[in-house]
Amino acid sequence: MLNYIWIALIALGIVVAVGNDVSDEVQNRYRNGFLVDATVEIQKSPTALRSTWEGELVLSAEAFNVLYPTHSTAGQIRQPVTVSTGGEGGASLIMPVGESTPAIWKEMAKFASTRERLTGTVRSFRPDAVSGTAAIQFVLEPIRFVKLKAVTQAAIDYAATAVNISLGLIGVMALWLGVMKVAEQAGLLNVLTRLLTPVTRRLFPDVPPDHPAVGAMIMNIAANMLGLSNAATPMGLKAMEELNKLNPKVGTATNAMCTFLAINTGGLILIPATAIAVRAAAGSANPGIIIGTSIVGATCATVAGVLAARILQRLPRYKKAMEVTHE
Amino acid sequence: MSSIFRDIINIISLVAIPLVIFVFLGWGIVRKVKVYEVFVEGAKDGFQVAVKIIPYLVAMLVAIGIFRASGAMELLTTVLAPVTTLIGMPPESLPMALMRPLSGSGSLGIMTELMKVHGPDSLIGIMASTMYGSSETTFYVLAVYFGAVGIKNTRHAVPVGLVADAAGMLAAVWIVNLLFR
Repeated sequence: MLNYIWIALIALGIVVAVGNDVSDEVQNRYRNGFLVDATVEIQKSPTALRSTWEGELVLSAEAFNVLYPTHSTAGQIRQPVTVSTGGEGGASLIMPVGESTPAIWKEMAKFASTRERLTGTVRSFRPDAVSGTAAIQFVLEPIRFVKLKAVTQAAIDYAATAVNISLGLIGVMALWLGVMKVAEQAGLLNVLTRLLTPVTRRLFPDVPPDHPAVGAMIMNIAANMLGLSNAATPMGLKAMEELNKLNPKVGTATNAMCTFLAINTGGLILIPATAIAVRAAAGSANPGIIIGTSIVGATCATVAGVLAARILQRLPRYKKAMEVTHE
Repeated sequence: MSSIFRDIINIISLVAIPLVIFVFLGWGIVRKVKVYEVFVEGAKDGFQVAVKIIPYLVAMLVAIGIFRASGAMELLTTVLAPVTTLIGMPPESLPMALMRPLSGSGSLGIMTELMKVHGPDSLIGIMASTMYGSSETTFYVLAVYFGAVGIKNTRHAVPVGLVADAAGMLAAVWIVNLLFR
């Protein structure tokens, strides 16, 4: 099933990206090739050393809304701009994108040839020395295939993120695997395991109740419930390693592994600290109000997951996947 | 009542890790285990496990990244919104429910955005934060846990994870509507 979901995510992503780009192109969402009339309030005129005009581009809200009807704005657009009138290939302008830049221009700048700034060709530039302003007509550089570019960037970025996450695990992994090894040799995990045998024997009937996997699973679940994800992941992976020692068919998930994963993806946590922190930061009157509701939600998720694992493991297709073929 | 519960859990979370390290290593000394040597012996596996996860996590995160960047989520939301509105889930919360199993950072971003727009104590704000707390990032957990032991045939783990997610999201919608509507 993972095969299908994996390919569905990728295929759907690429198809939708192409679809969005074609629709943007047909509607000309970014108004490629449109001539913009605006005023520049000149702050720096060209000198002997510099052949550029620097100032602020001023565009009335009405003019902007006519240009981008889907992204209408209420206020006047003011935007720093550099115009170079000399040089070969005609005059050009550069607009660095900042806080006050309209959303559509920010979006365009992300996919422009130079990141975080918009460039354009100046068709006419008439400075008026008396008022210190200039009338300008320009065309912004065409922006195309935004979603396909985003998809490409995401594929590269996420591959790097995956490596960073994995390597970031090395330290905590080493720490907890070391501690767990000591506990194992000291026989401490056996004590823990024996206490919870009535529960674990029902949840994981294929795992001997005194197996080290049981101890690691208990530690993992306890750490998860306390929200100690730094400790929970290494213990969970330790548990998976121990469960894999009982696996008759290498490379295939056992029933116990799937049940264990169901408990982990249920994500039962007594204090959802991240959600509470975000609520507090957003100015909630009672950030902790979601503790109870989250526990209800996660309990339902965990129970449903465990029950689903118990039912689905009996299906012939999943049973068959577990059969060991003798040669 | 809930604040006492919260304080107790917060204190347990605070002392849990130092206490576990102390008790485990201390017990080792009592039982005459050569703690330092054994610790190092166990810790040296940390690197292999982390490196083993890399290909699984790259495969999973790249697929999720492509899906997120393409705008397919908006499309899916538009298609599913009429259905989920029937069960009392505001359409604004739907991207949260769809993103939760796929990406931790993605769903965190959606939750923050919803609270900024609708307020943390609105129905949508409470529902989004409950949804965030009601489930784990299923596909990340699958990739990491199965990656560490080289499991390629995941059998029923994916449907089971999705059932758990769906149950968590539906339970969140139900309980929030019951208490805060």
